[in-house]
Amino acid sequence: MKFWNRFWFVVAVMMVCASVWPVYGQDAAATEEEAPALPESVDMSLGAVNSEFAMPEGFRGQETDEGDLRWLEDVGILMAENSDLYNIDANAIAESASFEGPPNINWEIKKEDENGNLNTESSENTNVASNPCNITDPGYYQVHNGGARQVSTAGGAEGEAVGGTDDEAGGEAGGSATASTGAEGDEGGAASGQTSTVTAQQRVGIQVYDCTAPDVWIAFQEGAGNVNMAASEEALKAQMVGKIIENLGKPFSTDAKDFEDASYIFIEEGKDDERNSIPWEKTARLSIAGTLFNERGAPKYESGKLSSQIDKKEYTNHVSVIGGEDKSLKGVFVRRNVPFIIAAVSTDNGNKRASAGEVEVRIVDANDKEVERDGDAYLFRVPNYPRSEYKDQPDYYFTTQAADKDGNLTTIRMPLYIVNTQAAFEGGRNQ
Amino acid sequence: MKTRSIFVVVAIIVSMAGVGVLYAQDDAAKKENPPWLEGINMPPHPEDLSPVLPLKIFMENGEVIPATLTEDVPITLVADTAIFDAEPPAEYNGTEIPNAKWSRNAAVSWFFIDWEKNKNVAASSTQQMALNQMVVTPLNPTGKGAITCHIGRKIRYTDPVTGKTRGTFANASVGHEARVIDITPPTCGLEIMVEGGRSGTFWVAENPPNKYPLPKMADVYFSGALVNEADPGAITTVQGVELGVAMVVKPEQAALNVPAGSVLKIKVNGEDNYKLDTAKLKYGICKNSSGEPIPVSAINASEIALADLELPEDPYLYVDASDVSGNRQVLYVPLKIR
Repeated sequence: MKFWNRFWFVVAVMMVCASVWPVYGQDAAATEEEAPALPESVDMSLGAVNSEFAMPEGFRGQETDEGDLRWLEDVGILMAENSDLYNIDANAIAESASFEGPPNINWEIKKEDENGNLNTESSENTNVASNPCNITDPGYYQVHNGGARQVSTAGGAEGEAVGGTDDEAGGEAGGSATASTGAEGDEGGAASGQTSTVTAQQRVGIQVYDCTAPDVWIAFQEGAGNVNMAASEEALKAQMVGKIIENLGKPFSTDAKDFEDASYIFIEEGKDDERNSIPWEKTARLSIAGTLFNERGAPKYESGKLSSQIDKKEYTNHVSVIGGEDKSLKGVFVRRNVPFIIAAVSTDNGNKRASAGEVEVRIVDANDKEVERDGDAYLFRVPNYPRSEYKDQPDYYFTTQAADKDGNLTTIRMPLYIVNTQAAFEGGRNQ
Repeated sequence: MKTRSIFVVVAIIVSMAGVGVLYAQDDAAKKENPPWLEGINMPPHPEDLSPVLPLKIFMENGEVIPATLTEDVPITLVADTAIFDAEPPAEYNGTEIPNAKWSRNAAVSWFFIDWEKNKNVAASSTQQMALNQMVVTPLNPTGKGAITCHIGRKIRYTDPVTGKTRGTFANASVGHEARVIDITPPTCGLEIMVEGGRSGTFWVAENPPNKYPLPKMADVYFSGALVNEADPGAITTVQGVELGVAMVVKPEQAALNVPAGSVLKIKVNGEDNYKLDTAKLKYGICKNSSGEPIPVSAINASEIALADLELPEDPYLYVDASDVSGNRQVLYVPLKIR
């Protein structure tokens, strides 16, 4: 019995020593060793959390750089990152190091321009290691996470100089006592602890694909009366190019009085709150302005929202405007014997609507046979409206189509009516 | 015998508690996620090769970046790293990077972090500069700040195992500790109220903000019935006042009009872009508008009865404020007694 008591006594004492010693051992080590050097930077992992909307390799038949992600524009994807800088303790940064406070975390999106330069599109200091990234224009981007954190080390000499017990000299207490040393080079010197800003960063390359149909503006301008007709279609186009870029595709006016010189059809992504919707919920806005969109020649400005059709494989969008008797856009009404010109331009969000391109327009009959111009303008000598009175006359249609390089498409097809006389515009009825 | 048994039991309990504490520490470290990592389940190190290269930042003339900067004073910095070399490194940490080629341009970002607020400001420059240069202008004073630079560049290389081409990023980043000293005087004002609820307020705003070189300039704003009885909501602005110890508003520019014999209730609006030295804040009524204020009322009184004062012909309200860096503002505003 005595033996067993002594035995258990010895075992207990050994266990107490074994459990307490490591704690003291750690403190002693911290006080006796030189403060380890802090690294300037550490590595970081960065990636997309929800990849269900990321596109596969070879999407739309395009090769992307190895390691790059493939996203659709306007689809927010949660990015996350991690680094030893974001741990609770700083042991992974350096032995006996401690963090002075929480990390500083910055999310940045850079876009590559045509010269290969990466320019900052957005920079957010969130101090959170995840961030919903929503890129609203196509192109090549890099999402960058930059992290930084103040890390201090406790130097043995400094810790002892501060005085106090062994407990105070080690770990956090010693570190914070030397917070002003280090890079600033104040008192303390190299042998003491230091406080430094340790950094980390990582980037991900992202190819963002265009899912938005191009904006299209079409102008119809008659060459009769007092209207100051543009010298040619080219002049009208040049005028439109300036305005469509300036207004980012939106109509340059909503006042019908501003459309006395020419009538316009505007098809664009919409008002600010309608733009940048997710690819499968995209809409477009059709606005018509001027005197040529009703048989009476009454000036008007009307605007409405159109749905867009998405290709479920390629995620390209098609905005289609079809006019007709039973549609909101009945057609274009021009006068017989009055020459008119048509000009159409288009912009795309691929380059943030920064440039405009010419769009081909056609007038065709029901058999899709193109109607030739009469010199520089279109001219119809025989009326075909009202259709019930001119059944023997052919149907005419105005058509145009604009496509961007990714295959998003905007198309228009609507009847073109030739009204009998100018009285349609002056008296509100046909002769 | 009995005593020994008790000691044995106590010793076992103590030892178990000690072991338990150690395990508990480990468990806590494993389970807790700091708020910035909430919901994130991602390893701290990249799975694939991603070299972290050394980066040095220094002044345009090659000198070390000072540890003390001045607010609003721009400095031009230069970054030097192997990321700007013609070819990427052929190995990293002993691992070969076969056929390594840069595949895109380097991307560079500079920040100034105010560690006291844990907020950063991204540096940008309208000047055409080399890719490795940046003008950094610390806009706010801080006792604890850092300039950081982050540079990354895409690399393509041949995976030594699969033989396939892979893409990764070479990264380089560094921080430089710097405090930023305050050179902007405080921007304090007063709010005056008299019997009947009529009041008048004047305040100061630095304009243009972050002006350098000195002097700092400011506008002084006035509103309230004691300034404009007909339109108390109107704001009168006295523009282009030098922010400092001689901020004098002339009577023809603006004034506070108070009835004779009234009791003024005074409230100070103490403002500074860093830290106001509240011990040095003084305000009240004085008899001069230049040099040091000569008070005729009790200093920092929240109520002043005009009837109790020996008022000069042209009295002024004054605010004399300093920040902890010693920048001082003395503002004189005419007080008209009717």
